[in-house]
Amino acid sequence: MGENNTVGFNGDLVNNFDGKAFEDLYRRMYPTLKKYAVYLVKDAEEAQLILNDVFIAIWKNNVRILNEKAYLFRAVKNAATNYHKTAKTNFLHIDEEEVPEVWDGGSDPAQTYQDKDRNRVLYQLIDQMPERRRLVFYMYRIDGFSYKEIADLLDISVRTVEDHLVKGFQFLQERVLKNEAEFR
Amino acid sequence: MDQETWKFVLDYLSAKENAKGNVQKIEQEEKKIQEWLSKDPKHQQELEQALWLWENTSAPPENDEWKNSFNTIQASLVQEAPKKTIKLKLWLAAAAVFGAIALFTFFYKVQHPVLQSTEIAWITKSAGSGKMISIVLPDSSEVWLNSGSSISFPKNLQHAALRTVKLKGEAFFNVKRDPQHPFIVHSLNLRTKVLGTSFNIRAWEGHPTEVTVLSGKVAVFRDSAGRQSAAIYLLPNQKTVDDLNSAKLSLENVEDAQTAIGWREGKMVFDQTPVKEVFDAIERKYAVKIIADQSFKGCKLTAKFSNVSLNEVLQTIKMTLDIHYTINKQTIYIKGGKCN
Repeated sequence: MGENNTVGFNGDLVNNFDGKAFEDLYRRMYPTLKKYAVYLVKDAEEAQLILNDVFIAIWKNNVRILNEKAYLFRAVKNAATNYHKTAKTNFLHIDEEEVPEVWDGGSDPAQTYQDKDRNRVLYQLIDQMPERRRLVFYMYRIDGFSYKEIADLLDISVRTVEDHLVKGFQFLQERVLKNEAEFR
Repeated sequence: MDQETWKFVLDYLSAKENAKGNVQKIEQEEKKIQEWLSKDPKHQQELEQALWLWENTSAPPENDEWKNSFNTIQASLVQEAPKKTIKLKLWLAAAAVFGAIALFTFFYKVQHPVLQSTEIAWITKSAGSGKMISIVLPDSSEVWLNSGSSISFPKNLQHAALRTVKLKGEAFFNVKRDPQHPFIVHSLNLRTKVLGTSFNIRAWEGHPTEVTVLSGKVAVFRDSAGRQSAAIYLLPNQKTVDDLNSAKLSLENVEDAQTAIGWREGKMVFDQTPVKEVFDAIERKYAVKIIADQSFKGCKLTAKFSNVSLNEVLQTIKMTLDIHYTINKQTIYIKGGKCN
């Protein structure tokens, strides 16, 4: 199952939060946290800035937080809320163009199966899911959040979270079965 | 596998993975699975598929995207500890400056009681013909001015609620991010409003103004005598050309926005550019005067010059437009020529 990076951090309180540990934290959190920020502010540039501000803040505090994962997601959520409050009123509101939900049934992923890298191909399929479903999948599978935690972070119901996951897995299964030959 | 099945299969898989040591929970889920497996021999295969998907999605594929992102904050991570003392010193300095200003205004008022002291002082910087300069504004935004361009900004720019600057000609901006204080550029009748981005504005008198975005997001709108049009929003590699003949600002995608700031490296790029505009650009860049015996009206030129000599530029134009030219000191006389 590869290295176990699905279950949070074991919460050791390390006093010297060195550069290596910080970079490592950033690397592990980036894939999902970035998507989460984009989901909240609907703007890639803004999401990037929020994400980095949050990381810079924990670096400057120089304290290792017990549950970094939960803390970081919460901090991004707060920052996004503030962003909506201030930027919207201060700046000429910039129309948040709907992030298109790419559900590209047209392109055949079979071509890409050739590289046999199952993990990569599966994530290519996951990345084709509608934005919210994809995010739920990432939070659940990569970061190991529970249904309840995901529901709170996305302000949706636990049932909806479960529904997204089930549909996500169903979609993967269907695609893989359809192209089983290439996956072998 | 139907939705109901997936639900308890996921419960089972995640219990095994996450409920470390919670034997009861795992056993509970396992019981449900066994029950389901016994119903149909096909179920075993389905469970294996599910497990396969589960295991192969445990982590995202290796990807260096995070690294690029991380590099952008590394600079902010260095400065730390001695912050407090600096802050204090800053306060002292600020107090001293304030005191000095107060004194100065006091004397100023005494000496010139007629002048209004509330008027904001504007600073203007210009790049003469044949020159290019870069400036750091008081709010630490950076500006590169192309030849024959100038920029004006209030002395107290960093304290203004709205950071307003005025541009004549062409400049590339790298605006310091400050969401509380939008940065706005006035150029001819266009207004460009940003929070913190980089973009190029080309606003030569008598030619359509162009705004090209390199990073971030920019709002552009027209302002004629205080009447503001609806804004359009530009993202990286997009530009707007203010064609006064059309009612609305247009949005165009550009292949590579870097081309728009090629002038900073001495490049000149013309793409179906009116010859008049080409001559203007040459005049500014090489600090010369061009006198032609015809207007080249409706004539367009496409050419790329990377930091080359004036002679080379003129040779190319000579061949393209079939002109003759003579140079006398800083003046170029152009004779003949025809459009293709």
